[in-house]
Amino acid sequence: MTEIEMITITIDGRSIPVKRDSTILEAALENNIFIPALCHSELVEPYAACRLCIVEVDDGRRAKLVTSCNYPVRKPVTVYTSSDKVLRNRTITLEMMLSRWPNVQIIKDLAKFVRIEKPRYKHPAVDLNPNACILCGLCMRICEQGIWENIINFTNRGAVRAVRMPYDSDQPHCIGCGACAEICPTGAITMVDDPNQPFDADMVRRAGMRITEEMIKFDEEQCDMRGVGTAHLVEIMDAYDLLPVMNYRYGKHADTPKISSDVLRTFFTKGKPDGCWLGCTMACAKAVEDFQLSTGPYKGEKVLVDGPEYETLGGSANMGIFDPRFVIEYNFYCDTYGLDTISFATGVSFVMECYEAGVLDKEKTGGLEIPFGARDAALELLHQIGRGEGFGLIAGKGIRYMKKYFVENFGADPDFVFDIGMEAKGMEYSEYVTKESLAQQGGYGIALKGAQHDEAWLIFMDMVNKQIPTFADKAEALHYFPMWRTWFGLCGLCKLPWNDVEPADNAETDEPAKVPGHVQGYCEFFEGVTGKPQTMDSLISMSEKVYNFQRVFNLKMGFGKREHDAIPYRSAGPVTVTEYESRQDRYDAQLSEEVGIDPSGMSSEEKVTAMRKYREAQYEQLLDAVYKRRGWTNDGVPTLDKLQELGIDFPDVIELVKKHGG
Amino acid sequence: MQAGTIVPAADSMIVVNSEQTEWSRGKTVSDVIKEKNYIFPLLIVRINGKLIPRDEYDSSVVPDEATVDIIHLMSGG
Ligand code: SF4
Ligand code: SF4
Ligand code: FES
Repeated sequence: MTEIEMITITIDGRSIPVKRDSTILEAALENNIFIPALCHSELVEPYAACRLCIVEVDDGRRAKLVTSCNYPVRKPVTVYTSSDKVLRNRTITLEMMLSRWPNVQIIKDLAKFVRIEKPRYKHPAVDLNPNACILCGLCMRICEQGIWENIINFTNRGAVRAVRMPYDSDQPHCIGCGACAEICPTGAITMVDDPNQPFDADMVRRAGMRITEEMIKFDEEQCDMRGVGTAHLVEIMDAYDLLPVMNYRYGKHADTPKISSDVLRTFFTKGKPDGCWLGCTMACAKAVEDFQLSTGPYKGEKVLVDGPEYETLGGSANMGIFDPRFVIEYNFYCDTYGLDTISFATGVSFVMECYEAGVLDKEKTGGLEIPFGARDAALELLHQIGRGEGFGLIAGKGIRYMKKYFVENFGADPDFVFDIGMEAKGMEYSEYVTKESLAQQGGYGIALKGAQHDEAWLIFMDMVNKQIPTFADKAEALHYFPMWRTWFGLCGLCKLPWNDVEPADNAETDEPAKVPGHVQGYCEFFEGVTGKPQTMDSLISMSEKVYNFQRVFNLKMGFGKREHDAIPYRSAGPVTVTEYESRQDRYDAQLSEEVGIDPSGMSSEEKVTAMRKYREAQYEQLLDAVYKRRGWTNDGVPTLDKLQELGIDFPDVIELVKKHGG
Repeated sequence: MQAGTIVPAADSMIVVNSEQTEWSRGKTVSDVIKEKNYIFPLLIVRINGKLIPRDEYDSSVVPDEATVDIIHLMSGG
């Protein structure tokens, strides 16, 4: 934690410690000292337009009037918020305002506060509109600084100064987020167009605005999604031994800082959303502009790259390559060829381990020398996949295919390739090391689409917090989170605003991991669109129907039973002696404390075997618990009772499920 | 939450996320976070069940034999 310098100032006789560089207005507000302020909001940079917030500041040498909203505290000063000089000045300002906008409520209230009954002046440009624009500039600042859109601004000067869209037009680029209307203190801006005709547009906008406010206020200190997107996870995963290194053998590497978010930040375009979703203030999809490619069909050209995000960076560590330019280049070509960076990186990590283990050699790869860290060979393989040529024709078909192919054609040891080939249901693992989190092994193994973490990411809950120690706890988490995250898919929503920014009061809620404040926001969002009120439980039951139906669909396609939820052993524990020995203290302690075996005197091979026996049994027990919690048979098939309860007991579904013992 | 299920093994020990951890006089929440290398930003800290606000991590002293839960939330795709 960085040291924060505190400076003690005096406001109206009260001694107040203040963080260096915070403004006098902020210090006063934090200490419940009222200073009138019309153009201030904690969501935007100060603007010092209204001049109502003036105070008198005495630094020991002289006293002067300053606007408190943009006066930074840098030394101990004495502040008077209502000295004669201040009051006189503030009253004149307010009188002018009242004479110009006599019916605007907020002006009337403030005038009353300084005891102005009626202004003494007649303003030449008096505006009787109760919702007149008072030129505070809040709207254009939030549009530019908060939403990153920069649509509205002031036009003209003097009496005809006004907020307008460019050329007084209906701006097609305005995304209709409503932030300007929300922040306007007078109601001068109202949203008039709701092309999608939601049931209650205001309800939808308010729910969205809460996220926007949190993003503006907290993101920089929390995940910095606006700054670097999910890339911030690279160094975090490394610190917790969870960053996959060399085909998930290890969880950290000395070279990780070379691909950390600080490095990526220097490449990313700043201060602009990349257009992933108009108006999303999380804006985590980053882009690299003018990137010069070093290989492939576009070699030498400067291109725009959409990314990279965490998975693509983690995938690079998995291939043992710690070079940001490589990451950006493979990101670009995967996108260009229509490949998924995760499947590519995990697939190549497998190829590299096979190469190092002698399963592959230069002859079998058609001349490619491809051990871990082989940057150029990885790119060449990518281009071969793109062209559908050479070894690329084999690697491009994915790990499930390669395993079989290597056994049948290259005489590979089936046990070895099945242990280290990181896929489930034919889909490559995403980029997290799951060895120390049984719940997450289930999160990958049971996931309907294959080895993806987007149904449940439970590693911290399980491995670090130790919040879900029993099988029943893990099963509950593997019920709730997959159902919850399925709900985003049902609605076509992104899941990141749910838990990549945290509401101020989240820690005080009963179940902070669920971010109840945001779940409530999604209930309102759903109600605002459809007119149907929702609760946390009703959202989950929407998903449960679909989720079970998907499992039935998997069953129909030959992927919906216990045997299909099996995982490669690399995701559950150390496959090789080297892997075991790299974390020997941890594993030895587990053998004695959890497994109940004394490791002293055992060879590393024996320890690997003992550990494996234990962990594989644990995984089976986890499946038992999860199936039970979900209302499935012990073979992972939804029971008839469950289907009935969910109202998806259609005749063909029943027939299918019955055939499989459901 | 785990508070109370695993107790400190001895004097001058605390339990942090169910792990026995050494205690020393004056150790603050920030010290514990640093020692454990908990660099993830979304943390919730409880000492013996009591919530510690983020801006008090530097000043909150962990008492001997305390149970400290440092709950990591989730983030990422
Ligand atoms: S609705 Fe949003 S994008 Fe449009 S002008 Fe207002 S703040 Fe800017
Ligand atoms: S429209 Fe509203 S927010 Fe914008 S300058 Fe005028 S009063 Fe302020
Ligand atoms: S609030 Fe400071 S000048 Fe308006």
